[in-house]
Amino acid sequence: MEEHLQQLARQQWLIPAIPLVAAAIQSLLPRRARKLSAGICITAMGLACALALRAFIATLGHPEAVREFYNFPWFEFGNTSLQLGFILDPLTAAMAAMVTFVGFWIFVNATGYMHDDENFTRFFCFLSLFAAAMLGLVVANNILLLFMCWELVGLCSYLLIGFWFHKPSAAAACKKAFITTRIGDVGFFIGILMLFWKTGSLNLYTTDGTGALQQIGTQLMGHGWFGWSVATTIAVLLFIGAMGKSAQFPLHVWLPDAMEGPTPVSALIHAATMVAAGVFMVGRMYPLFIAGGSVEQPTFAMDMVLYVGAFTALFSATIAVAQFDIKRVLAYSTCSQLGFMVMALGAGGLVPGQFHLLTHAFFKALLFLGSGCVIIGTHHEQDMRKMGGLRKYMPITFICYLIGMLALAGVYPFAGFFSKDEVLLVTFQRSKVAWGMATFAAFLTAFYMTRQMFMVFAGKWRGGEDQGHHNDHSSHGSHEPHEVPWNMWLPIAVLSLFAIGLGFFGGKYAHYLGAEEEELAGKSLVMGLSVAVGAFGILLGWVLYGRNPQAHASDPDPLESKLGGLFTCLNRKWYVDEFYEMTIIRATMACGTLFRVIDKRLVDGILHSIVWIVRGISQVCRVVGDGFFINGGFDAGCETVRGSGWGLAKLQSGRVQTYFRVLGLGTIILLVVYFLKS
Amino acid sequence: MNIPLGHYLILAAILFAIGLAGALTRKNAIIVLMGIEVMFNSAILNLVAFWHYKHFAVPTAQLFAMFSIGIAAAESAIGLALVIAVYRHYKSVDVDEMRALKG
Amino acid sequence: MNIAFWIISAVAVLGAVLAVTLRNLVHCVLALILFFIGIAAHYFLLHADFLGTVQILIYVGAVAILILFAIMLTHNVTGTDGPRELLGLKWWSGAAIAAMLAVVLTRAIQGDKLAAALPAGDRAQSSVAEIGKALVGGWVVPLEAIAVLLTAALIGAVVIALEEIRKSR
Repeated sequence: MEEHLQQLARQQWLIPAIPLVAAAIQSLLPRRARKLSAGICITAMGLACALALRAFIATLGHPEAVREFYNFPWFEFGNTSLQLGFILDPLTAAMAAMVTFVGFWIFVNATGYMHDDENFTRFFCFLSLFAAAMLGLVVANNILLLFMCWELVGLCSYLLIGFWFHKPSAAAACKKAFITTRIGDVGFFIGILMLFWKTGSLNLYTTDGTGALQQIGTQLMGHGWFGWSVATTIAVLLFIGAMGKSAQFPLHVWLPDAMEGPTPVSALIHAATMVAAGVFMVGRMYPLFIAGGSVEQPTFAMDMVLYVGAFTALFSATIAVAQFDIKRVLAYSTCSQLGFMVMALGAGGLVPGQFHLLTHAFFKALLFLGSGCVIIGTHHEQDMRKMGGLRKYMPITFICYLIGMLALAGVYPFAGFFSKDEVLLVTFQRSKVAWGMATFAAFLTAFYMTRQMFMVFAGKWRGGEDQGHHNDHSSHGSHEPHEVPWNMWLPIAVLSLFAIGLGFFGGKYAHYLGAEEEELAGKSLVMGLSVAVGAFGILLGWVLYGRNPQAHASDPDPLESKLGGLFTCLNRKWYVDEFYEMTIIRATMACGTLFRVIDKRLVDGILHSIVWIVRGISQVCRVVGDGFFINGGFDAGCETVRGSGWGLAKLQSGRVQTYFRVLGLGTIILLVVYFLKS
Repeated sequence: MNIPLGHYLILAAILFAIGLAGALTRKNAIIVLMGIEVMFNSAILNLVAFWHYKHFAVPTAQLFAMFSIGIAAAESAIGLALVIAVYRHYKSVDVDEMRALKG
Repeated sequence: MNIAFWIISAVAVLGAVLAVTLRNLVHCVLALILFFIGIAAHYFLLHADFLGTVQILIYVGAVAILILFAIMLTHNVTGTDGPRELLGLKWWSGAAIAAMLAVVLTRAIQGDKLAAALPAGDRAQSSVAEIGKALVGGWVVPLEAIAVLLTAALIGAVVIALEEIRKSR
C-alpha cells in the first residue's frame, strides 16, 4: 500500500500539468475555435479531476493520516541544490479533489455565461492556466514552489478580473487586486527567506527529516523579532501574505472590486479557490503557527490570526447588508466567511477551518454561478433593485440559489450549518470576544442573504421600469427575464447536491485529517445560539423585505429608512477605500512626485553640472593647451625655423669673396684637426 | 744642391697663401682671377718638387703638370670671358656689386 | 747651387706679393709675369726643362696677355682700384685667413720627416723624347681629352663674350 501511495505521490505533478498543457495549446488557437478551446479546457479539468479523485480515494483507504511526498532537485549551484517537491496527504488530496471538481462545473457554466463574448477562446485559456497554478499550489511540498504558484494564481486573477480591459473600472480593479495582494506577498516572501535561512531547506517534508516543517523543534525555537520565537515570526510574516490573498482586513479592498470580472471568474477564483489559498497555506504551514504555544497560552501568531479573522468576519458582514449589486453582496459574504475560516485556524481548530473551506467552496460557487444565471437571465442586469419576482421566470435557478442561501445562512441540515457550528465551537473555547463577534456576523449573514433572496426572487419584476434602452444584448427577445440553458443550470444543480449533503461528513473529515475527536465544552450553548441567531436573521429579513416586497426600483430600501446615515456608511464600505486614497495612495503619489523632482533637479542637475564641467575643461584645454601651447608652440617653432631660415639665408650674401673666406677658414680648421689627430 | 724637400713645400705653401690673400682681399674681379692663377702655380710647383725628389725615374709628373697648366689656362680664359660679359651688364668689375645670387 | 734656390724663390714671392697688392692693374699683370718667370726658373732648377718652357710659353705668352686684354676691355685701365680700405675689417679677415693657412701648412710640413728628404742619386737631364713618347703612348687619352677641353673652353669663351656684343648691337 505504501508503494502505491508513493507511486501516486510521484505522479502528483500530473494534476497541475494537464491543465497547464491545455492552456499552452489553447493559447495558440485562433479566436474562432471556441468549441475546441472550451473542449480542451473542460477535458483537461476532467482528467485532472479524475487523477485527484484517484489520489483522494487512495488516501481514504488508510487507517490513519498518511503523508507521502516526492522531492527532486530543480537546479544545482555549487554543493547545494534547489529542490522542488510534491506531496500527497489528506489536506492536499481533499483540496485537490474539491478544486478540480468545483472547477470542472464552473467551466461548464462558463461556456454558457461567455457565450456572447468574442474573446471566448482567451477566457478559457486563462481559466486553464489558473487551474494549473492553483493545483500546483495545492500539491506543492516546497514553499518556493508554493510561492511561485501563488504568484501565478495572482497573475491569472489579474488577467481574468481585467478580462474586459476596455472598461476603465475593470482595468482599475485588476490593478488594485494585483497590487493589494502584492503588498501581502512582501511579508510572505520575507517569511520564506527567514524559513530558508533558519532551516536551510525549502522543502516542507523530506525523507531524512531535514524538511522545514520537520525542524521546528530544533531550529526555529530561537529568538526572532519583537521577542517572539522564530517560528512565530515566520508564521506572522506568512500570514501577512494570507491576509492579502484571502482578503482579510485591511487588505480586503480588492475583493469587491474584483467583481468587475465575469461571474464564472468570481465563482472560481474569488469564492472557491484562490481566496482559499491563503487559508490553505496557513493550514499547510500550521506547525509553524502553533509551535511553542498551547491552548492556554497561544502564540502571538495564533492571536493575530484569530482576531484578524473575527474582525474581518464582522466588518464585511456589516457592509454586505447595505449593498445593491448582487455580486457585491456575495463578495463581502465571501470576505466574511474567509474571516470565519481564518478565525477558526487562529483558535487552534485546523479541522473546522479546513472543513468550512470545503463546504464554503461548494455553496459559494453555487451562489455565484446562480447569480451568473440571474445576470444572464435578466439580460446583464446586476442591480438588485431592478430585479424581483424571478421565481416565476427562473425556477431552477431559484431552487438552487435557495439551497445555497440556506447553506450559507447555516440552516440545518445544509452543509453550512455543520461547518459553521464547528467553527463557532472551537472559537468559543478560545476567546469569548471573538465568538461574540462571529455570532453577530452569523446573524448578519442570515439577514443579508434573506434580504437578497427576497429582493431578487420575490415580489414582482421591477426591471422593465427602466426608461432607457437596453443595449445590444437584449435585442434578441422581450425584456422579460428567462431561464438559462442547460449548460448553466446543470452545474449549479450538481453543486447544490453537495451543498445539501456535504455537511454530514464533518466528523469523518476530522478523522481523515488525523485529528482526534475531543469533547469540547459549551457545545449545546453554541449550537443553540447559532441556530437562534440564524433564525432571527431570516425572520428579520422576511419582516423587512418579504412581507412587502418593493414595488418599484426607485423605492427606498426599508433598512435605509431605519438606519439612515449608518446605512450610507455601510453602503460606502465604511469609507475604507476613501481612507486609503487619502493617506496611502496620496503618500505614494507624493513620493512619486518627490522622486520625479529629485530626478529632474538633483540627478539631472548633477548630470548637467558634470557636462558643464567637462565642457569647461575642454574649453580650457582648447584655449590653453591647444591654443597656447600646441598652436602657439607650433607657430613659434615655425617662426623660429623661418627666422633662422632668414638668418641663414643671409649667409648667402651673393658675394663670392665671402664664400671664399668661409671656405678658407673651413679648410684651415680641417687641416688643424687632421694634423692634431695624426 | 742640398735643398730639402721641405723648403720647396714651404715655398709652395707661402705662395699659395699669398694667392689666397689676393683672392680674398681685392675688389677687382680680374685681380681675384690673378690670385687664383698664383694658387694654381704654387700647387703645380708642389707637384714638380715631389717628382723631383721622389719619382725622378718616370716623367709622369711632368705630364700631370702640363695637363694642369692646360686646364688652368682654359679656366682662366673662361673666367675672363665671364668677367667681360658681367662687365657689359653691370658696367663694373667690382665683386661686391655682383650680388644678384644672394639668398 | 743652393743660393739659386733662394734667389729664385725671392723673385717668385716678390712677384706674387706685388701682383696682389699693386693698385695699378697693368702693374699687377707685370708683377704676375715676373712671378710666372720665377716659377719657370724653379722648374728649370728642378730639372723639368720641358715644363719650364711650357710654363713660359703658356702662362707668360698667353694667360698674361689674356688678362691684359680683359683689363683693357673692362675700361678700368687706370682705375683707382686698389686694395681694400687698408686696415678695414674685410681686408684683415682675408689676410688673417691666408696667414693662418700658411702657418698651418708650414707647421705641418716641418713636422713631417718627409720634408727632410734630399734628392738621391745623380740627376741627369730629363729627356723631352721621353715625354713625347709618353704623351702619344700611354697617355694619349688624357691628351685627347685636354684637347677637347681646350676646344670647349675656346668655344665657350667666344660664346660668352660674343653674346654680349651681339646684344649690345
